[in-house]
Amino acid sequence: MSARSRALTRDGRFAAAWATALATGALAVALAHTAARTLPAPRPLEELAYYPSGRFIEPATLGHAQSAADLAWLRAVQYYGEHRDTDNHFARMAHVFDILTTLAPHFTAAYAFGGFALAQEGRDFAAAERLMQKGVDANPTDADLAFEFGFLYYVKPGGRDLERAAEYFERAARLPNPPPMAARFAAFARQNAGELAVAYALWADVRAHSPNRYLRDMAEREMDAIRRAWAARRLELARRHLATPGVQLVR
Amino acid sequence: MSAFVIAHNTFRETVRDRLMAGVLVAGAALLAVTQIATPLALGEGRRLTVDLGLSSISLLGLFVVVLVGTSLVAKELDRRTIYNLLSRPIARPAYLLGKWLGITAALLALALALGGALALLLAWRGWMVSAASLAQGVYLAGLELAVVAAVAVMFSALSTPVLSALYTLGLYAVGQWSDDLRAFAAHFPPALGRIVGALADVVPNLPLFNMRTLVADGRPTTALHLALATGYALTYVACVLALGAAAFERKDFK
Repeated sequence: MSARSRALTRDGRFAAAWATALATGALAVALAHTAARTLPAPRPLEELAYYPSGRFIEPATLGHAQSAADLAWLRAVQYYGEHRDTDNHFARMAHVFDILTTLAPHFTAAYAFGGFALAQEGRDFAAAERLMQKGVDANPTDADLAFEFGFLYYVKPGGRDLERAAEYFERAARLPNPPPMAARFAAFARQNAGELAVAYALWADVRAHSPNRYLRDMAEREMDAIRRAWAARRLELARRHLATPGVQLVR
Repeated sequence: MSAFVIAHNTFRETVRDRLMAGVLVAGAALLAVTQIATPLALGEGRRLTVDLGLSSISLLGLFVVVLVGTSLVAKELDRRTIYNLLSRPIARPAYLLGKWLGITAALLALALALGGALALLLAWRGWMVSAASLAQGVYLAGLELAVVAAVAVMFSALSTPVLSALYTLGLYAVGQWSDDLRAFAAHFPPALGRIVGALADVVPNLPLFNMRTLVADGRPTTALHLALATGYALTYVACVLALGAAAFERKDFK
């Protein structure tokens, strides 16, 4: 092969390489746009970009937000443990759990643990409620988390919120794979909130569907109590006095 | 044909490198660390192990790409073996393709080994994880490494090993931010937004290969995601290697 024909071949390969690069590059860009449009892209840290101490956390993780969330979880547990053992002062706990659950929106254990720790030890029920609401919004089909949210209202320090508790217990009972006690807790909460008609229907559902004979008997007893209360026109006959829950902190 | 011969030699050279053994040991050590940290994780040891196990595939693979992939051509220039090779009837694009195939095969073997070790550890601990989800996570991590390897091979054909490593690491970092760049572009003034959007298109869209969140939750991804990621990886690799080949054609070895 002469030098001239070799040069021509190389020129041809050069042109072909550029043509290939342009064609495949355009196709790659089109595919990237399609992926960005069609795939559910979790953008875990978008709002964290505005937090003073959480700025740029996700970009800094270089795509390893889950691993960063794990480290944040370890840190959160350490933070809780340190302050639980010493001063019971949990000033940064809401922020730590917010960053953690923003990094890993489906980390349901973090919502439940953080929610109860904030409400009980942190004495910041509003922050606990926000965290649990964020968890339920991010995991709308998680029955366990909905139940935990209901339970948070059920043991709300300073005064139970039985209506909100019942709302989330019922929601948990309607979701796939509900905790077995969700329907019973919903009925119990409604009954003690004074909503006897709803409670009666929920107990009837427990009686009809529970595989547990003890629970069916319990539902029957509660339904009897509600019927007696209705007959006597004394609603308090079907309601129990529930003590105000609290938590004993170690000093 | 010649590309496969070069690929075979590159693969053999890479897996025989002591670095590869070191990377495997580092991967095993990282898995061991997850087990030490498990008691501190309040029952979330499974999640910790899956997350860090998958991250280790990606990060240790990047380490191999930076240390081996960016010096693939420079090493042959140092040893002067490239003169023997290119004086034969081997087209330069075939040479680059062979180099990429070889290192990608080694990276896929690494991903499989670390993914297998992770699966064995999970099985040994009795932690239930969706096998399909884990396999998909390892597959996408392998695709990500194939894309980064193509970038490294391109730079190695154009520049020195140190500069190639810096360029590759830079593109890897910006590639991980491509989604954020696109989101920022939407909030910028139109002219600046177009420039930032174009930059997001040019850099490798690496978040497309990240399903660690899903694997940690035991959820598989969709066939559409896998198809788009595979198609994107193939076209991006073809584009980058073609650019490298175009520049390599013009390179004067004197």
